[in-house]
Amino acid sequence: MDAIIARDLTKTFHTIARRPGFVGGLKSLVAPARIAKTAVDGVSFSVREGELLALLGPNGAGKSTTIKMLTGILVPTSGEVRVAGLEPHRDRERNARTIGAVFGQRTQLWWDLPARDSLAILRDIFDVEAEEYRRRLAEFDDLLGLSEFWDSRIRHLSLGQRVRCDLAAALIHDPKIVFLDEPTIGMDVVVKEQVREFLRHQVEQRGRTVVLTTHDMTEVNRLAERIVLINHGRLFFDGSLTELRRQFGATWQVHVTLADAPADVAVPGLRVLRRDGPRVAFGPGDGATSTHEALRLIIERYAITDLAIEENDLEDVMREAYLHREQMTA
Amino acid sequence: MGLVWRITRLNFRAVLEYRAEFMLKVAVGAAWQISVVVFATVLLTRFPGMGGWATSDVLLLASMRLLSHGLYVLLLGRVTWTHIVVQLGQIDAFMLRPMPVYRQVQLAFFNVNAVGDLLVAASLFVGAVLVVDVDWTPARIAYLVVALVGGVLAEGAIGTALGSAALHAPATAYWSMWLDELMTAFGNYPLHILPGLVRDAFTFVLPLAFVAYLPAAVLTGHLETLAVPGWLAVASPLIGLLAYLASRLLWKRSLRAYKGYGGT
Repeated sequence: MDAIIARDLTKTFHTIARRPGFVGGLKSLVAPARIAKTAVDGVSFSVREGELLALLGPNGAGKSTTIKMLTGILVPTSGEVRVAGLEPHRDRERNARTIGAVFGQRTQLWWDLPARDSLAILRDIFDVEAEEYRRRLAEFDDLLGLSEFWDSRIRHLSLGQRVRCDLAAALIHDPKIVFLDEPTIGMDVVVKEQVREFLRHQVEQRGRTVVLTTHDMTEVNRLAERIVLINHGRLFFDGSLTELRRQFGATWQVHVTLADAPADVAVPGLRVLRRDGPRVAFGPGDGATSTHEALRLIIERYAITDLAIEENDLEDVMREAYLHREQMTA
Repeated sequence: MGLVWRITRLNFRAVLEYRAEFMLKVAVGAAWQISVVVFATVLLTRFPGMGGWATSDVLLLASMRLLSHGLYVLLLGRVTWTHIVVQLGQIDAFMLRPMPVYRQVQLAFFNVNAVGDLLVAASLFVGAVLVVDVDWTPARIAYLVVALVGGVLAEGAIGTALGSAALHAPATAYWSMWLDELMTAFGNYPLHILPGLVRDAFTFVLPLAFVAYLPAAVLTGHLETLAVPGWLAVASPLIGLLAYLASRLLWKRSLRAYKGYGGT
C-alpha cells in the first residue's frame, strides 16, 4: 500500500524580476515586472509503506520544496498530494501526528531549553503516554547516545548532537512516515554512521516509511532502496540504484599506457573517454559490458605497459545523471 | 491551557539561567516605561488640564495604556518577532506540530522586557486609580477590566496584522518599531488635542484611540470632548475584540500563502 502519493505536484513562486544596474533597480521599484518561477513542475511518484526512498537532485532542484509540500508546510500550486490518506496542507494538524520531519540545517527544538525539556514538551503536544514516552526515549538513547548531552541546552550542542536530538524529537510520537532533509549534513563520519544505523533500524525494525534527501552518496548507497531524481523541478528518474547505474554513463574506466602511441586509437565495442599521448582511458561502448572483456579487447589490439581499472562510484553516476538531464533541458 | 503554562514556565526558567541578561532586560523594560512616565509628568505639570481633562484623568488614561501595553507584550507581543521566527526557519517546524502556529509563535520564548513594563505600569495604574475622581462602582470596575482586555486585544490586532505581513516580508519589523514609538508618543494623552485628521487616523486607521483614550473618556465622564459617538467609545473593548479577530483571520490567510524560508 502507498504511504505517499504525489500526482502532478507543482509549486510556482511569483517574484519580481530584477533589472540590472541602478536605473534598472529604480524601474523595478516603480514598475515591477512579476515573473513566475516553477520550483516543482508536475512531479509524480509514490512511496510504499515501509520503504526508504532517496529524493535526490542538485542544489536548487526542487527537493526541499517537494518535501515542504509533502509535509504540509507549503500549499501546492496544482496537483495532488496524499500522505497516509491525508492532504497535508488541508489537514495540517492531523497530518502532523502522522509524520515526523528533520531539516538538518535547522533545529525544531527550543533553542534555550535543554534537549530533554524540549522532548518533554513535544510529548505533551503530541499526547504521548508517559510509559510509552519513557520506553521510546530509552530506545533513542540506546541508538543515538542522547543521555550524554540531553541535559544541555540546544544552543550549546554540536551539530551532530543537535541533529540526533532532532531525530528523537521527530519520532517521539511514533509517526509512520518520516521526512529527512539532509539529516547528516556537516556531521563527522562516526556520527553519520550512527545516524544511518538509526535510520536503518527505523525502517527495518519499526516499518517506518522514510523519504530522505541528501548529497551524501555513501548514505544513498547504504540506505536507499529506491531513488527519485529531480532537477529543474522535474522528475527524471525513478528506480533502483542498479537501474540508475545501468542508465547513466560509464560504470567503469580502463586506463592503459600504450607501448607505442599510434595517431588513432580505437577498439571496437569500447569508447575512448580521454587520451593524453600514450595514456588512454576507455569506457564501455556498444560491445564490452565488463572490465574483463574490455581488457581482452584492448590487449588483442595494442601492446600496453601499464594498466589501471577504475570502477565509477555513485557520485560519478549522479554527476552523469544530472548532466544528462541538463543536456535534455537545453 | 496546561500545556501553554508548562511551556511558558520552561521558557521563563530558561531566561532565568542567564541572570545578568534577565536583569538587564527587566531593567530596560522598566527604564523605557519610566522615561515615558517622566515625560508625561513633565507635560502634565507644564500644561495642566490637557484638552479639558484633569491631570488625574490623563494619568488614568496613561496608566491604562501602559498596563494594556505591558499585558500585550507579556501575552501576545511575540507576534511582532514573527520576522525572526521566519528567518530562523521555525515557522516550518511549527507547521509540523499539531498545535496552531500562532500559539507556537507566542510560546517561542519568554519576553523578559514585559516584566519591567508591567512593574512600572501596574504601579502607575494603582496610583492613578486611587487619585482619579471616579466613583468606582462594581460596574465601572468591571468596565475598567474589560477595557484593559480590549486594549490588549486592540494592540494585539496591530501586532498580529504586522506579524501576518512579516510571514512574507521581514522588513515589516521596521514598521513594528515605528508603530510602537508612535503609540508610546501619542497613546498616553487625550487624542482630541491633536488636529482632526491625526486624531481620526488614530481612531479609524490605527485603532490607538480604542486602547485607552476612549475607555478612559467613558470612565472619567469626558464623552462630550470626543469626536466619535458615545456608544462607540463605550464599545471600545468590543472594537478591540473585533479588530483582534479580524487580524487573526488575516494571519490565517497569510499563513496559507506562506512561501517558506531557505532552499528550493
